[in-house]
Amino acid sequence: MQVEYPKPSWSDRFLLLDFLEGLRTTWRELWKPKVTIRYPEERIEPANRFRGMFRFSFDRCIACKLCAVACPIDIIYIDVHDEMREVDGKQKKLKVLDRYDIDVKRCMFCSLCEEACPTKPKSIWLTTKTYELATYDRNDLYFNMQQLEYWEERPETTELPGGELPAIEGEAR
Amino acid sequence: MSPLFLKYLVWPLVKFLIAFLIVQVIVAAMNWVERRTLGLMQARLGPNRVGWKGLLQIVADPIKFILKEDIVPSSSEKVAYFLGPMLPLIPAFLVFCLIPFGPPPTYIAARVNVALLLILALTSTGVYGIILGGWASNNKYSLMGGLRSAAQMVSYEVPFGLSIVGVLMLSGSFDLVKIVRYQETNAWNFLAQIVACFIFLVAMNAENNRTPFDLPEAESELVAGYHTEYSAMKFAFFMLAEYSAMLVNCCLMVSLFFGGWTLGMFGVGLTTDVLRSWGLWGGLLGCAIFTAKVMAFMMMYVWFRATFPRFRFDQLMDLGWKWMIPLALGNIFVTGIIVLAGQERLLYWFGGGAIVLTAFYLFRPRPKVVHASRVSEA
Repeated sequence: MQVEYPKPSWSDRFLLLDFLEGLRTTWRELWKPKVTIRYPEERIEPANRFRGMFRFSFDRCIACKLCAVACPIDIIYIDVHDEMREVDGKQKKLKVLDRYDIDVKRCMFCSLCEEACPTKPKSIWLTTKTYELATYDRNDLYFNMQQLEYWEERPETTELPGGELPAIEGEAR
Repeated sequence: MSPLFLKYLVWPLVKFLIAFLIVQVIVAAMNWVERRTLGLMQARLGPNRVGWKGLLQIVADPIKFILKEDIVPSSSEKVAYFLGPMLPLIPAFLVFCLIPFGPPPTYIAARVNVALLLILALTSTGVYGIILGGWASNNKYSLMGGLRSAAQMVSYEVPFGLSIVGVLMLSGSFDLVKIVRYQETNAWNFLAQIVACFIFLVAMNAENNRTPFDLPEAESELVAGYHTEYSAMKFAFFMLAEYSAMLVNCCLMVSLFFGGWTLGMFGVGLTTDVLRSWGLWGGLLGCAIFTAKVMAFMMMYVWFRATFPRFRFDQLMDLGWKWMIPLALGNIFVTGIIVLAGQERLLYWFGGGAIVLTAFYLFRPRPKVVHASRVSEA
């Protein structure tokens, strides 16, 4: 395609005033605030819809295994046994969770497990705004249910330059 | 020690060493200043990790250069390869003993009555190191860089020299001290020689292989040009030579066109006599004024680098031969006639008018442009 550029006028060709325009632009750019975030010292809080690390709630979970069914790569492992318990004066058969593990290293954070969860509020959810998931060992990313529930109180494996622990924001929902 | 020995050898040497050390510090600091300013102009932060605001980068870089492995290509021409980085250093440092940093005779190492000629002769030998280094590396990119540098140096040495002629005609001397003294009694030469000043500015960018004209080290075409094969301290020497040459040209610019160490025109303001009457402090103030002006022009180099894209080689040659040289010759012609007629004031009016018109053009009222992404917010 033939592109037609505006023909430079005589004054543009000879006096090079456009060069001054360029200099003016860079000069103004020099004083503008920069958008760079100096990461370990500065952090941005993710948006509310941000999908971060899992949180799990043992109390809310009804052990229905719907999340494990919904998971497209089957990384949620659930073991359940039945137990007779007294609820409101009657003997009832209840499902009790033995094992609720997530292999986070393979997770793609699609959040389908959260959508499948029938409890209200959800007993598995991803909107924790926690994104610092790096570990030195890949097996550290296999979480059991205690780890999933108390993930935010885990002992810090990496040290930050300032020595301060990252401020982890509470969940969105 | 005889007084003659003291006067002609010891004191000049001491002065030169002091100037040399200050220059080294400035050159090292320029590395940080340039990277940081460039970053800020390109919407990022630049080096800010080492020390306060990244200031210790000045120390960290030389340490890194010294500790790095010094690789010599096995197929290189050994002697020339070693000479390459050394040769441009010598003229770049030597020139500093000819430049008056403050009111003479104290603040100049060696006052020579043809100082300007000597400086021009010395600085133009700097390109030998680049050619030699480029050739000795036995690398096609290095050789191309060296050749380009040579061609560029030859074409821009001409307008560089011609732009000075007008100043010489006005002041009637090759002595930098006399040129500065002329400027304090009359107007600074950038007023009288605005065209020459512009040509000098462009030519000095080209001479130093700085960004609109940095074809010898064009990263996108030649890897790194003439210093592709150089590492560690040898590379640092090339950098040192480049920044020293920049500093020399800035000193020349200030001395020739911007009144050197003085801060006054038409005999009013901080002239040499005023500074001398204040003794030591006056002299140091003169040096400070000179340094401030020089640093302003060093920042100009950085500013240009942040702004202008690189020329193509034929565009570079076009600009040099078709525009700069005729313009410089025309400037000599006009200046010559006006000097013969004894009407220097005409030149001041012309220069002042040009500056005012440019300022009007730059600060003209213009419609406020709202960026497309901001429209929804407003």
